[in-house]
Amino acid sequence: MATLTYVGDPQAQPVDGLEKVLGRARYVGDIRLPGMLHAQVLRSPLPHARIVRLDVTPALQVPGVVAAITAADFVDHGAFGWPVRDAFILAHEKVRCVGDPIAAVAAESEAAARAALQAIVLELEPLPVVSDPARALEPAAPLIPPESPTGKGNLCQTHIVRNGDPAPLLAAAAVVLDETYSFAHQEHAYLETEGVVAIPEPDGGVTLFANDQSPFINRDNTAMVLGLPPDKVRVIQPPVGGSFGGKDDIVYQCSGQAAKLALLTGRPVRLVLGRDESMAASYKREAMQIHLHLGATATGTLVAARAELLADSGAYASMTPLSAWRATMHAAGCYRYTAATVDTQVVYTNNGYSGAFRGFGNTQATAASEMAIDELAYRLGQDPIDFRLKNSLRQGDRAFTGNLIDHEVGLQRCLEWVRAHSGWDRRRAEFAARNANPRAMERHGLGVACYFHGSGLGGEGVDYANITLRIDEDDGLTLQAALTDYGQGSRTVFTLVAAETLGVRPERIRLLRPDTQTAVESGPTVASRASMVGGNATRVAAQKLAQLLAFAAAEALHCDPAQLIRDGERYIGPTEEPLTFEQVVAHARALGLQLSAQGYWEIPRIHWDFEHGTGVPYACYSFGAQVAEVAVNRRTGKVRVVKVWAAHDGGQLIFPQGALGQFYGGIAQGIGYALTEGFTFRNGYPDKLNYDRYHIPTALEVPEMEVTFIATTSIGPFGAKNLAEPVMIATAPAIANAVFHATGVRVRALPIRPEWLGEKV
Amino acid sequence: MDLEFTLNGRPVTVTVDPDLKLVHLLRDVLGLTGTKIGCEIGLCGACSVLLDGVLVKSCTLPVLRVAGRSVVTIEGIQAPDGGPNDLQQAFLAHGATQCGYCTPGMVLAGEALLRHNPQPTREEIRRAIAGNLCRCTGYQQIVDAIEATAQLRNRK
Repeated sequence: MATLTYVGDPQAQPVDGLEKVLGRARYVGDIRLPGMLHAQVLRSPLPHARIVRLDVTPALQVPGVVAAITAADFVDHGAFGWPVRDAFILAHEKVRCVGDPIAAVAAESEAAARAALQAIVLELEPLPVVSDPARALEPAAPLIPPESPTGKGNLCQTHIVRNGDPAPLLAAAAVVLDETYSFAHQEHAYLETEGVVAIPEPDGGVTLFANDQSPFINRDNTAMVLGLPPDKVRVIQPPVGGSFGGKDDIVYQCSGQAAKLALLTGRPVRLVLGRDESMAASYKREAMQIHLHLGATATGTLVAARAELLADSGAYASMTPLSAWRATMHAAGCYRYTAATVDTQVVYTNNGYSGAFRGFGNTQATAASEMAIDELAYRLGQDPIDFRLKNSLRQGDRAFTGNLIDHEVGLQRCLEWVRAHSGWDRRRAEFAARNANPRAMERHGLGVACYFHGSGLGGEGVDYANITLRIDEDDGLTLQAALTDYGQGSRTVFTLVAAETLGVRPERIRLLRPDTQTAVESGPTVASRASMVGGNATRVAAQKLAQLLAFAAAEALHCDPAQLIRDGERYIGPTEEPLTFEQVVAHARALGLQLSAQGYWEIPRIHWDFEHGTGVPYACYSFGAQVAEVAVNRRTGKVRVVKVWAAHDGGQLIFPQGALGQFYGGIAQGIGYALTEGFTFRNGYPDKLNYDRYHIPTALEVPEMEVTFIATTSIGPFGAKNLAEPVMIATAPAIANAVFHATGVRVRALPIRPEWLGEKV
Repeated sequence: MDLEFTLNGRPVTVTVDPDLKLVHLLRDVLGLTGTKIGCEIGLCGACSVLLDGVLVKSCTLPVLRVAGRSVVTIEGIQAPDGGPNDLQQAFLAHGATQCGYCTPGMVLAGEALLRHNPQPTREEIRRAIAGNLCRCTGYQQIVDAIEATAQLRNRK
């Protein structure tokens, strides 16, 4: 490959960083418009109840209150949701979790809006609460959705994998592991809460500034519940203060509420959730229980796997049916088996509701399988890294789902890297010796975990993106994407890819905000797919323009386009003086060439047969490995992460500082998942509603991290791979396995509660 | 009642409700939206400002507490030409900002530290920003940026 100038430049800076460091970036909550009203939402205090009486007219008597709405103000009561249409913009007939929105008001001030909520007449008749996912499936369990999507009570969805018959292999295996792993909910805890500013338009439509991930889905959804054609709803995405999968359905709900209030009042309406409200009402990473049954030969060759997953979707399906599918496709881990089956159930409960969160099901699947693999290696008396190297997937192997891994695999190189850099062999022995001292208050351990992660949407849908790019009168370029940037750096990635492809300085390129009126629809911004799919679409658009410019340059320099050489932005022909970019653009214009292009790209289509549990779930995978060093306090049971070493098979990096940031940030979220987070419910009531009780890691709890990217080939732009999600998923199991090394206590539930561990050690 | 204080080096006189918290005075009355709201219980640090050079959380601070004192917000941190100062440049160069929502508070936490401890260790930097939550970066590049700025300022 030719030398790259802008792609992979370690000096490259985020294109939207300057306004952020200066405090000038304007987030939704910073928007203030003349005549703007403030919205507040009345939310359910109960996990499950029938709405007996709801009257918002007294709220309208409160001074300063301009409008109040309920489910009756929306088409079909505001029903929405995909893949299951089971949610409402405002609760209809019943509430199904604490925080369910019931009514919304708009007032001249926040205080008046709050007072109005007090005036609303609401009578709820409590219904039996379902908080245990296993009991939700009992025939006598009260039904949570209005109707069962499967015809089987609270069963929301099932998924299977069928690859041979593991039963006889497990029966004959020399060593088996048969354990159950459980995972609490996790809250995204983005620093910026959900928010929308809705502006009524003269044509009867509405413009929304919303901090969502996927503006086109928001547009279609809002139009549906308002009864407007989609082109009458315009969604613009301002800078977004973190999302991690968390700002879709909940922001669509806020958008419907704010849009309706704006249309009713004819004035702009701002709705920004408070932290307590956000934590109660927003969706979480689903709690999950995973039963694994693995078998190996006496010499340590894995032979078979059987997995059963139970995912707690909470009150609504949201994305849980899809994240549970991803969990299913990764349930037995990145290893070779002769046979494997998986059976997954997604159930409704009254535990808030669950949806997309970084890792999307693979966070739990990998945590379970890596804790299990570690234990199996221990039972076999084998080193955890040796055992993984022996059994892990290599190019030409078949995954447990039965599909061929036909591309380069960097997994083993990642394992070797973390082994070498963590001083694994020497320090494991040192710690074991030190831990033998009965007087030591702290026990030290090193643990490892590795992973594979299917790229893009996989069997969930067609995986495509559109990018538009044009050269403007000032010889700058304007790029627009519908894939969005909520902090992960995709705006910078698109800029660098376009600059590299066209041979122009990145400073020439400006990005428009994602806007449904001007961008071309590109599917959702999820699944760590923006760099790969959006990056390739950018490359396609830029190549089209590059061809036109090469044609113009060749014409001006009286040569063949193949004879042109680029030196920085200049075009050099065989004989005449080189031309600047501006001169070439001017000549292209003189020739009447159209200097705009649209790029489309999609991941090669694959097919997964959901009914039979066979096929190809993903076109390709990324891989990685991490080692965590922990110190466990024997008195308190508190686990301190001392250091993390991590290697990710990331292909060619496009924006290295951004990629590193994703890596470090992912590990930090994995540390929180392993140790301090856990969004728990007590009989449907959430325990933690702000950062005082929901503890995300601080700078003192995230250790120094040593990370690397292993370069392998990929179908991404310039060979880039996805990374934002996979980099977090090995952290928690590596910590759990390090705790075993330190204490001899096997962790099978996350987060690791100090009280529990303290008692064990 | 009337409140007088110094804001980003300039004297300010405003009529305020004494129950108002500083963050709302800054954002809703004075239009300085660089100071963010994250938790409103003084825990996340998105609302951090400097009060007489010391890092404080403006979401729990009653406005009257700033009477006669000097408040610096992120809008008051910049190079003389209005561009980023050395610390803000270091945030850009080291990848210390992702979503950017914690960034104003983090920059102020870094400034507060460097004003009284010009040669902090990485551990001291971590302690100085421990009251400012970031959900994106894992803090490492923020520590890098503050450390690099300290080294740069010490060479001057």
